Amino acid sequence: MPKRAHRNTGYVRGLKCQAVLRVAVLTLLVCTLSAATRPRYGGTLRVEIHASIETADPPQLGPGMPELAPAFSITRWEAGRRAAYGANENAPGGRPFLDEVQVELARPPRDQAIDLDVGKAEMIEIPPSEARRQPAGRRTWVSQPVRVLLLEFGARVDDPRAREALALAVDRTAIFNVLLQRQGEISGALLPQWLSGYAFVFNVASDAAKARELAAAIPAPARSFSIGVEDASLRPIAERIALNARDAGLAVSFAPQAGAADVRLLEVRIATADPARALAAAATMLGLAVPPSRLDSPSALYNAERDLLDGFRVVPLFHLADVYGAAARVKGGPGISPLGEWRLENVWLEGGRP
Amino acid sequence: MTFRTRLLLVYTLAVVASVGMVEWLVTRATREAFERIESQRADALVAQFQREFDRRGREIVRAVKDIALSDAAINVAISADDSAYYNEASAMARAHGLGLLELVGDDGAIVSSAEWPVRFGYKEDWLTASSSWKPGVAFLRREELPDGFTLALAAVETVNAGGRQLYVAGGQQLDQGFLDTLVLPAGMRVLLYRNLEPQFAPHLLAGAADAAPDAAEFQSLIERVIRERRPRVTTLGSGAAAETVHAIPLTGMEDNLLAVLLIASSRRDLVELENSLGRNGAWVAAGAILTGILMAGWATARVTRPVRRLAESAGQVAAGNWDSTVEVTSRDEVGQLAQAFNRMTHELVEQRQRLLQTERVAAWRELARRLAHELKNPLFPLQITVENMQRARESHPQEFDEVFREGSRTLLAELANLKQIIARFSDFAKMPAPEMQPVNLNALAAETMKLFEAQFAQARVKARAELAPELPIVAADPEQIARALRNLVLNAIDAMPEGGTLTLRTMPQGSGARLEISDSGQGLSHEECERLFTPYYTTKTHGTGLGLAIVQSVVSDHHGRISVESQPGKGTTFRIDLGDR
Repeated sequence: MPKRAHRNTGYVRGLKCQAVLRVAVLTLLVCTLSAATRPRYGGTLRVEIHASIETADPPQLGPGMPELAPAFSITRWEAGRRAAYGANENAPGGRPFLDEVQVELARPPRDQAIDLDVGKAEMIEIPPSEARRQPAGRRTWVSQPVRVLLLEFGARVDDPRAREALALAVDRTAIFNVLLQRQGEISGALLPQWLSGYAFVFNVASDAAKARELAAAIPAPARSFSIGVEDASLRPIAERIALNARDAGLAVSFAPQAGAADVRLLEVRIATADPARALAAAATMLGLAVPPSRLDSPSALYNAERDLLDGFRVVPLFHLADVYGAAARVKGGPGISPLGEWRLENVWLEGGRP
Repeated sequence: MTFRTRLLLVYTLAVVASVGMVEWLVTRATREAFERIESQRADALVAQFQREFDRRGREIVRAVKDIALSDAAINVAISADDSAYYNEASAMARAHGLGLLELVGDDGAIVSSAEWPVRFGYKEDWLTASSSWKPGVAFLRREELPDGFTLALAAVETVNAGGRQLYVAGGQQLDQGFLDTLVLPAGMRVLLYRNLEPQFAPHLLAGAADAAPDAAEFQSLIERVIRERRPRVTTLGSGAAAETVHAIPLTGMEDNLLAVLLIASSRRDLVELENSLGRNGAWVAAGAILTGILMAGWATARVTRPVRRLAESAGQVAAGNWDSTVEVTSRDEVGQLAQAFNRMTHELVEQRQRLLQTERVAAWRELARRLAHELKNPLFPLQITVENMQRARESHPQEFDEVFREGSRTLLAELANLKQIIARFSDFAKMPAPEMQPVNLNALAAETMKLFEAQFAQARVKARAELAPELPIVAADPEQIARALRNLVLNAIDAMPEGGTLTLRTMPQGSGARLEISDSGQGLSHEECERLFTPYYTTKTHGTGLGLAIVQSVVSDHHGRISVESQPGKGTTFRIDLGDR
């Protein structure tokens, strides 16, 4: 079985400099590996994630498990509970170091942390609020900010003043400092700064006085709406937004079902390093008018994004990174790409077969 | 209503009033005793609530103090980055059994909140105002939560470390869970109204788990206590569902009224006791009243029996039985009355006998006078005739025969007159019993008027008959009635020596008939009218005075009535009523 080399050479444009730098650093690391850190084959990597995937078949799209292929192939699928992927001996890039990757689904973050501590898992997700509290020596893999946390208004909130009032009421800084523990970026843009380069132009400052002024100008029924959160981990952020909204004279209550809410707090994932494609994908995902396909210049891209956000139908709040924690015996990696894709074919376990 | 009935009624009312008074007194005494006990129980429960309140307060003060002294709190106090501790309060609150806990920086901004974690950064100005709280003292506080306001028992301590001050404000909600821990006596319940909104809100009234309160029932009481800010006691509901409610206002550190404690004590026991007393009292009262009525009946009978006998005897005396007496059975006032009655009747009998004797003597004297008068008139001619015959025999023998013949005729005539007088007296004495038969009084009256037509003409009397056409037939003896009519007609003719008008009327009278004979003569005085029917009494210069006596005797034998109406100078009217029973 040939020894595998690092495969982190396919970074997207716009990140080429970073990628080159990383490759250089990793190459240096490989060159200085001692015998103890030399890659080994074998072993099972136990991964725990928070998401519960209830589909009958393993997911084919999105970050995480779909990216295990072709180095790994699915061997067991229990919807909503666990999945197992075995090493593909005939993978195009060569056999991965690991024999198997077991994925535990629907595992709460707190339990994941415990499992990692007690050795029941080798790789877990780390929520932003916990990213700064990792014990010394634990490996963490952090992607670029690829998750856009935003508010999406439903059709019922048809008064733009109400939408703008809520957008101005949200104190992003307080949420960023406390609830997100300063992880990610405050943003008023759909595309993150690292991808577009102009995200800082969009306003992110809260203006409670103007929000109150706007709220006072609209009829009382329009000042009340419900908010929905599909991911329970985002609930504190939604509660803080509701509190900010109350200060502005808006009444925000929680909808029992997120899908039926007047406004939703949700994440949109940047799945590509091409900003135009990323913007189009986000617009499609949010039900906004898809911008023209040819956005050659940054100004065109900016204008397109500006058009999407005018009217406050969508209010971007933060850009968050994927953060994973790995046990100390996990070697190699990083196990994720800058876009948060799993790259576990580069990972091996200490104590595996020599 | 008889005297006995009245007396019985008075006795019965007295018994009912007495029983009612006793029942009322018993019920009142029972109610007062119950109220006293209920008040003591409420006071005990208030004291228990206060003890529980104080105990909880001490626990909260201790827990807050422990948190303030903990390393974790000191770490928060000295940390330059508050954001790392925004979840700290939740863990601390769990560890120390507090429902509410906030860590607040020296600028009043919330570092961490257990009850509302996302409220970090918001100001709690009341903590930095020293008058709002005292260290080591638990107090009531209106606390805001994500879903509204709540009432809390809170305490505050401070942590001073690294030149910074951290406020530790912890507490417990005063809600149904708190009330559930109170041990309540049977029939009592505790409710707590949390005065957290400007207007009364039913959902702010909490009761123990087994006593869901009907908020509307307490609304007016709660509003009044909040308005007046002083305790009140009132009764709510009615019947067995009624409750005596003690409402006590509870204030916070700044004397703001934050809650009203309601201690409700069921009046079911009292109502059942009163009902039982009422039922038993009703039976006792019924028995007492029945017994009272029976005893009153016996007593009244005993009291009224002599009175009734007196009344019966008096009635007999009034009916003519003057010999009636009353048995004297006691020496009391009634007995004395009976003795007086007996003496009275005895005196009456004696006086009556004396009067009868006197009247009898007077009657004999009158009879003797009338007889002497009637007999003297014929005797005088007899004497003169006999003396004439004696003188003729002695002085004129040749004329003696002639004188003798004339004298004999005179003697025979006067003797016949004497015989007639004696016959009249005999007739009056031997008035036969009437032979009753149907009589048409109109026909009888017409015959009588026809009989006297010649005499009317001779006496210049104008006779007039006014006979009712539908006069009932009456049972009478036609001979005796005709004789009475003739006597009255003769009497009327005699009363009009100068002539006048005689009117004979008949008319229905009840079921019988009336005869009226009126004259237009001189009339009679009142005294004459009273003596008119006395035998041998007459106002005329001739006659025996038996005519009207005979008329009265006939009418009396027919069970009729005769009356006279007269005024001097305006004539006289006699009325005879027959056949009206």
